[in-house]
Amino acid sequence: MPQLCWYFQLHQPYRLRDLSIFDLGSEPSYFGQVERDANREVFQKVAQKSYIPMLSLLYRLTQAVPEFVFAISGSGVFLEQAAEFAPEVIAWLKKLTTTGQMEWLSETYHHSLASLYSPAEFQRQVAAHAQKLDELFQVRPTVFRNTELVYSNDVAQLVAELGYQGMLTEAVDRYLNGQPKTTVYQDVSGQLKLLLKHAQLSDDIAFRFSERSWQWYPLTVDRYLEWLEVYPESEVINLFMDFETFGEHQWESTGIFDFFEKLIRRFVERDWNSYKTPSQLFASAKLGSLPTYNVPQPISWADVDRDLTAWVDNAFQRDCLRLVYELEPAILASRDAQLINDWRRLQTSDHFYYMCTKWSADGDVHAYFSPYESPYEAYRRFSIVLADVKRRLSLVT
Amino acid sequence: MNMPGGYDTVLMIGWEYPPHNSGGLGVACEGLTQALADHNTQVYFTLPYQHPTALGHMQVVPCIDPTWSNPAGGPPFSVYSSTLPLTRNQVDADELHALPQSELEQRVEMYAQVVAQQTQAVQPEVGVIHAHDWMSFPAAAQLKQATGKPVIAHIHSTEHDRIPNGLGSSYILQTEAAGMAMADKIIAVSYYTKKLLVDRYGINPEKIEVVHNGILPLDQHAVPPAQSQFAPGQPVIVFMGRLTQQKGGEFFVKLATQVLRQRPDALFVIAGQGDLYHELLFKTAYDKLSASVLFSGFLRDAQRDKLLNRADIFVMPSLSEPFGLVALEAAQRRTPVIVSKQAGVSEVLPSAISVDFWDVDKMTRTILELLSNKGYARQMVTNQLQEVSSVTWDQAADKVKRIYRQAFLGR
Repeated sequence: MPQLCWYFQLHQPYRLRDLSIFDLGSEPSYFGQVERDANREVFQKVAQKSYIPMLSLLYRLTQAVPEFVFAISGSGVFLEQAAEFAPEVIAWLKKLTTTGQMEWLSETYHHSLASLYSPAEFQRQVAAHAQKLDELFQVRPTVFRNTELVYSNDVAQLVAELGYQGMLTEAVDRYLNGQPKTTVYQDVSGQLKLLLKHAQLSDDIAFRFSERSWQWYPLTVDRYLEWLEVYPESEVINLFMDFETFGEHQWESTGIFDFFEKLIRRFVERDWNSYKTPSQLFASAKLGSLPTYNVPQPISWADVDRDLTAWVDNAFQRDCLRLVYELEPAILASRDAQLINDWRRLQTSDHFYYMCTKWSADGDVHAYFSPYESPYEAYRRFSIVLADVKRRLSLVT
Repeated sequence: MNMPGGYDTVLMIGWEYPPHNSGGLGVACEGLTQALADHNTQVYFTLPYQHPTALGHMQVVPCIDPTWSNPAGGPPFSVYSSTLPLTRNQVDADELHALPQSELEQRVEMYAQVVAQQTQAVQPEVGVIHAHDWMSFPAAAQLKQATGKPVIAHIHSTEHDRIPNGLGSSYILQTEAAGMAMADKIIAVSYYTKKLLVDRYGINPEKIEVVHNGILPLDQHAVPPAQSQFAPGQPVIVFMGRLTQQKGGEFFVKLATQVLRQRPDALFVIAGQGDLYHELLFKTAYDKLSASVLFSGFLRDAQRDKLLNRADIFVMPSLSEPFGLVALEAAQRRTPVIVSKQAGVSEVLPSAISVDFWDVDKMTRTILELLSNKGYARQMVTNQLQEVSSVTWDQAADKVKRIYRQAFLGR
């Protein structure tokens, strides 16, 4: 009977407002609008449907089930928006932090792909995020999770250099070569411990839970426990998912909250089952004795191929990413805090995700998450903003 | 009072009219009929839908088949859109012959029937029939057969312009050819178009008169240049038109690449929509121009004014453009204009720089020269303004009246 490691991701991007060419040069805000701020609207809606009910449920469960522990990560842009649009969310997070049963993870402040494009910018964003967590919650995480669980041997090197003991990523069959995903791994250089997401069991909850065409619909706690208990005590099942799974992707009416609560209570009714946080698992794992996870090409937790093609695939995405990171030296040299902040918000991976033109099943998922009518519109707006950033840059340099 | 049955009374077969117009045809019909009214001409104007308001200068005759689903909202379908049943995707002309009558063909034919019926009351009154573009030709042919009155076929745009690779709809090509053969006189909107009608349709040049479109002077609703400031300090180069093969948007993107090498601060704006939109977006990204070539979407009214006012240079790289009113509108708003040699508008705007649509090198040199030599640009603007001021609908109506007279008198 296994150990369960839960990790929930909190993130909301700053979506672009409907900027037009006629706004160029009028010092426009790229993200918020005075009249009607879509970011505020989305955040408050999701807070009501998901963040607040799920955070309060997690709190209740920490009180009712002392063995229950889990990990959480929240991007800096999420925490900023929470503080502005729904401060109650921050209050709940503080309350949960004090229980000692919730472990915070580190990530990039701007939920960016900087690990792939600029090691220096990556380090700055990780430091900014760590500072934010320290300010808000007085915590200093020792475990890292990269944006969208993006991982490669090179990324591992970057993360190890920052002093983290381990990180989370996806179990990708083409790099596991038949090895189990239910154990602690180390990176190729032997410096970093790794936990790999159990995609099937995670996605049973995150994606398939309310899918009527699924053969196991409706999923019961009994059935799910059976699936978990196939694994022996020594193994760890990593259930990694968006926080919004609870209440937003799966609405309350699907029974997701009840399912989760029952599952958390019942799993540890048997003595041999246990909950673990990433750092607890890493504490008992010794570098050098762990199997190696060798990932030469970047992977992620997204889409069927678990690769980068959700963000870095078509010409829109590639050219926008190229421009954003080419601007880095000039932007930083400008010492214009507002410009630098805007530029960092443009690095948020969601902007590139919205430009994805892949079709089939992944396209549906992309369309669900996009605030724009099409990937073409996502690109069109982003390019107008890039032109304005370039223009502002030309004024300060 | 006009003499019943005289050439002072005309039955025009139209297809679109502002505000429900998809392009230049409606705008031209508006300018021309207003000027004809000023020349004491009574115009009956048919439309395949209910026009929303009464017009002071002419009488609109709605000609709607009861089976059409949207007679009140606008034309029953947009003839120049990409959703035509017959498109260049069907590449084999022989296959086209084998196709059952398309929906478009049926609609145009039905329009002919409805026009014949709905205009019966006014037919004795009119002296000439004036048909605008191919959609109206079957109707004009029926009326000619029924009444024996002379027909003037007015060519604003041909299938060869719209689909320059020669793979246009054979039905439309045939309708154009038959309409012009049937007509007593043909009006072409430019010498460029006249030559195309002679070369591609084999029309006798003596049958074709050229009447350039006019342009209305800027009115008090036009946005003043002072309210058109954006992207300060950057050279702004504008393309405005449907995003179709005809308009040459891809050459504009190529041009951007070349100009940006010398002027990295330049901003290229593509205004319009059309079936090449996604392709042009991809080309822009692929050519690494994402922060320099921007798409505004379709603009109308004030935003249109604003962009044409602000533009430092307007470029119209059309592969084939019968007239190209938008170039005059840009010139009128003090913007130096570069037009392709394959465009009729340069005949009335000789100061505009004319360049082969594919000659991106020359366009690049011209743009760099205009941007660096302000005196040159100013001189060009002055000359263009002078030329625009003499391009009037009054003049056009005058010529059209003479053509009515000739047709009426059988000369």
